[in-house]
Amino acid sequence: MSNSAIIEIENLTKTFKHAEEPAVNGISFSINRNEIFGLLGPNGAGKTTTISILCGLFAPSGGKIVIDGKNLYEELPLIKKIIGIVPQDIALYPTLSARENLAFYGSMYGLHGKNLKNRIELWLEKLGLKDTGKRQVSTYSGGMKRRVNLIAGILHQPKILFLDEPTVGVDVQSRNVIIEHLKEINAAGTTIIYTSHHMEEAENFCTRVSIIDHGKLLTVGTPSELINNSTGATNLEGLFLNLTKRKLRD
Amino acid sequence: MLNKLLATVKKEALLLLRDKVGLAVLFVMPVALILVMTLIQDSAFKSINEKGIPIVFVNDDNDSLGYNIKQGLMENDLCYLVDSIDGKPATAELAKKAVSEGNFLLGIVIPKGATAAIRKNVSALVDETMNGSDSLQQQQDSVEITILIDPVAKKSFLNAVTSNLREFISEVKTKIMFQSFSEQIADVIPDRQNAPTNSYQKSQIIHYKEIFASAASEKIIPNAVQHNVPAWTIFAMFFIAIPLSNSILKEKTEGSVFRLHTMPTPYLLLINGKIIVYVIVCLLQFLLMLAVGKFLLPQLGLPALVLGNSVAGIFLLTLATGFAATGFGVAVGTLATTDHQAAIMGSLSILLLSALGGIWVPSYVMPQVMRTISSYSPLNWSLEGFYKLFLRGGTVNGILPDVCKLMAFFFAMMAIAHIANLKKRNV
Repeated sequence: MSNSAIIEIENLTKTFKHAEEPAVNGISFSINRNEIFGLLGPNGAGKTTTISILCGLFAPSGGKIVIDGKNLYEELPLIKKIIGIVPQDIALYPTLSARENLAFYGSMYGLHGKNLKNRIELWLEKLGLKDTGKRQVSTYSGGMKRRVNLIAGILHQPKILFLDEPTVGVDVQSRNVIIEHLKEINAAGTTIIYTSHHMEEAENFCTRVSIIDHGKLLTVGTPSELINNSTGATNLEGLFLNLTKRKLRD
Repeated sequence: MLNKLLATVKKEALLLLRDKVGLAVLFVMPVALILVMTLIQDSAFKSINEKGIPIVFVNDDNDSLGYNIKQGLMENDLCYLVDSIDGKPATAELAKKAVSEGNFLLGIVIPKGATAAIRKNVSALVDETMNGSDSLQQQQDSVEITILIDPVAKKSFLNAVTSNLREFISEVKTKIMFQSFSEQIADVIPDRQNAPTNSYQKSQIIHYKEIFASAASEKIIPNAVQHNVPAWTIFAMFFIAIPLSNSILKEKTEGSVFRLHTMPTPYLLLINGKIIVYVIVCLLQFLLMLAVGKFLLPQLGLPALVLGNSVAGIFLLTLATGFAATGFGVAVGTLATTDHQAAIMGSLSILLLSALGGIWVPSYVMPQVMRTISSYSPLNWSLEGFYKLFLRGGTVNGILPDVCKLMAFFFAMMAIAHIANLKKRNV
């Protein structure tokens, strides 16, 4: 295992109870410090299951995971302190304001007092929500909710940030703001693990990508490396279709 | 950790305060239930405790028997007598009509000459005893008191009235007999000046005294208020399970739980935050209901709630009830998978537990089998505790068994929720 790797996964397997096939089937890869790592795949490929296991949400059926030098299931409480997650669903309380939501989530990461308040104000300003921070989240547009959802995951400055489709269903303006700030966070030292169906976004945003399907790792490398080594693909979307085929997924 | 707990409490309080409908259910519903149920049940409780049931009384005798029955029933807590109908003096016909129309549950008609007939019969009996004549067989007149009964009248009430009537008739008969014997004896004893003047009263050597077997210094009568205020407050406190379980389910369906489980905060702490807020709501509900019982119900002509003497006991029991109710809510919210499921599971189980627990109908009027089942309902433990405090002058020591049972129920519910949670995550 590499010294520069912040996440090392060996032969990770997850078979859900009563499922006929494993959701994740013996995948192994490592993610380096300060990378933006894309975890790509069609619906049901095993992306969210992999992220959920990496966040400690549920246990794998087999395999080994080391995060920041610590075994995930031996030192889960310590690992939870250094990770942040931006789930695909808007994980916010609709009847609370953006500030109230962020104050709560920030407190759960151990932030409090002036430090917490300053960080909330800083990020609300950066993501264009300072003036609307008092409004209940239920009154926000989809893009605004996504931005608050992102802040809730980065407020505690995690070492590793998991992003599950962070720009799904938002307008171009919101998407650009989100991507720009994610790059800024990454530049400040946070490793990002990102899933998306938006291939063009992944191609431009990620330093390395992996493509998984049916729970198996199909390929891993930098976007340009993978495109150049493929036959007939001129971009990441072409490569993705070559590897995962065109059959519709549930 | 304290900061995290305080943040959770603040979040839960804000969520609850912004749910206006939920708040209305938690505070307005029990007030409405207490008002409606107390007013409805007031007459039923009165039939047991107060001069609640009117009886139409026709006294055609106008002598000792009529007077004694009238006096006796008037002094009895069971009923009160009405001797006029629509402003006219009650007659046998009017009384029968009024009872058949449902205006009175019972009517009593004392026929004309009833006392005279008794006197005649007693006199014959005394004469036969003293002089050995057989005038009794020749002169016996029967006395027939008519009791008019509405078919809806409870048998127990009817039995109580007829038993009272028998007692009064027997008393009058004995009194007349005593007087007759005294007169006959006086005739054969020359020195009448030494005869006692109130010999009948002096002969009443057996008396009975009613004492309430409670520690309360004053007599507290179980009435609709004493039952309904604690009963519906407990019901409302347990009803908190529905918004609480919904709050847990919303976190699941809205995705917050995904984020919460990945945070460096034990899930139990997040649940504890909810429990603290909802237990505080339970205490506030109780305070509001006490205020309703103490101040609002008397304005509606109902008796004021009597709290007993143990403020510490009331607080402890309310707290334990709050914990039991919130524990139940946490279990429902964890076991259910949708809002709909939680609402049905929560409301039906609370309705069932409350019916069994003696909230709707006090358990002491239930049949023995149901009383046994009732003793397994946590709502019954709480209600019994409040009966002890409010009616029997109970203290903290007296309600400790109930408090322990409620707390054991809370811990059992939390254990069930914890196991269910672990099972759900162990997919």
